[in-house]
Amino acid sequence: MALMPKRVKFRKEFRRVRDRKATKGNYVAYGDYGLQALEGTWLPARVIEAGRVGAQHFLKREGKLFIRVFPNKPISKKPLETRMGTGKADVDYWAARVKPGTMLFEIAGVSEATARSTLARVASKMPVRCRFVKRRVTV
Amino acid sequence: MHEKNPLLSASKRERLGSRYAQRARAAGHLPAVVYGHGQAPLAVNLPAKETLNHIHKGEKVFTMAIAGEDQTLVLLKDIQFDYLGTNIVHADFARVDLNERIHTRVHINLVGEAVGLKTAGAILMHPTTEIEIECRVTELPDSIEVSITDLDVGHAITAGDVTLPGSGMKLITDVHAILAQIVIQKEEVITAEAAAVAAEAAQPEVITAKKPEEGAPAAGDKAKAGDKGKAGGSGGDKKK
Repeated sequence: MALMPKRVKFRKEFRRVRDRKATKGNYVAYGDYGLQALEGTWLPARVIEAGRVGAQHFLKREGKLFIRVFPNKPISKKPLETRMGTGKADVDYWAARVKPGTMLFEIAGVSEATARSTLARVASKMPVRCRFVKRRVTV
Repeated sequence: MHEKNPLLSASKRERLGSRYAQRARAAGHLPAVVYGHGQAPLAVNLPAKETLNHIHKGEKVFTMAIAGEDQTLVLLKDIQFDYLGTNIVHADFARVDLNERIHTRVHINLVGEAVGLKTAGAILMHPTTEIEIECRVTELPDSIEVSITDLDVGHAITAGDVTLPGSGMKLITDVHAILAQIVIQKEEVITAEAAAVAAEAAQPEVITAKKPEEGAPAAGDKAKAGDKGKAGGSGGDKKK
């Protein structure tokens, strides 16, 4: 089942600026370990789903996986061999806006070694460079 | 609580702003601010390496020697990270007295192997890893240990269950806040009905979309009606 919003205000959206750094959603908030994106991208819903499936197959009902991004941006695409013009194309897929620093997935209830190998597997499915992170030092 | 508070030698920051802070970091300083006790906030530069070492060790109370001023006792109130959360880029300190009662957050260390974790599919969840307490500066703990040995499936340890190490300490966090609980992972089963519903909702509902009115002409009829309207809506007709 593809991830997408249930209700939207408008069917299509402008492309908008992509080159900003994450100022929120950039730390481990729910789990113990996380997978952090080091580059920006529009992460398609199918890639998020691929990451989820990959992680859950590896975890085998152990631990809990948190998905920290949601694909709420409609990406439209014109069909092949179509002339330009005649308005904006139909929505092709839904994507999550990922900025450098955005936390993509988090894991709780497993050892660090298991979390590392699970998230390495997920990272290999992501279209951006990612890194494994732990919870931050808190005051 | 540590025996002796580490000494940090600070210099005043004359020029403020992100650009000057960036230059200070490049020169091996950590930009910080000291406030509290009714005095004006003071922007300072601290030696980055030394300060960060102390912060990573878990120190919270420092003696700060600011150039041109008396030594003051300060409490680490907040730290700011860069966008990746790797480096500490700024720190907030509050002036305190030794006998002052302060509000601070203390890390919770869960100790022991929970009984409930032996059940298949059981995982330990700890939504909160710290609690807020009120205590004297002198009795500030580094962390509080909580034993989870007796924790079983369906049970939870709340902030109210924690035994605070000092007699003068007071819990500020809500007593019902869950610190640790054991939950059983439920496997998601997608039924045929749910799959059908999901397939139906292939596109999200558009809130602002105009709904077709009852008895309204079809799209083709509308176009024809529009043409007629255009033809009939000439200036000559209006004059008549």
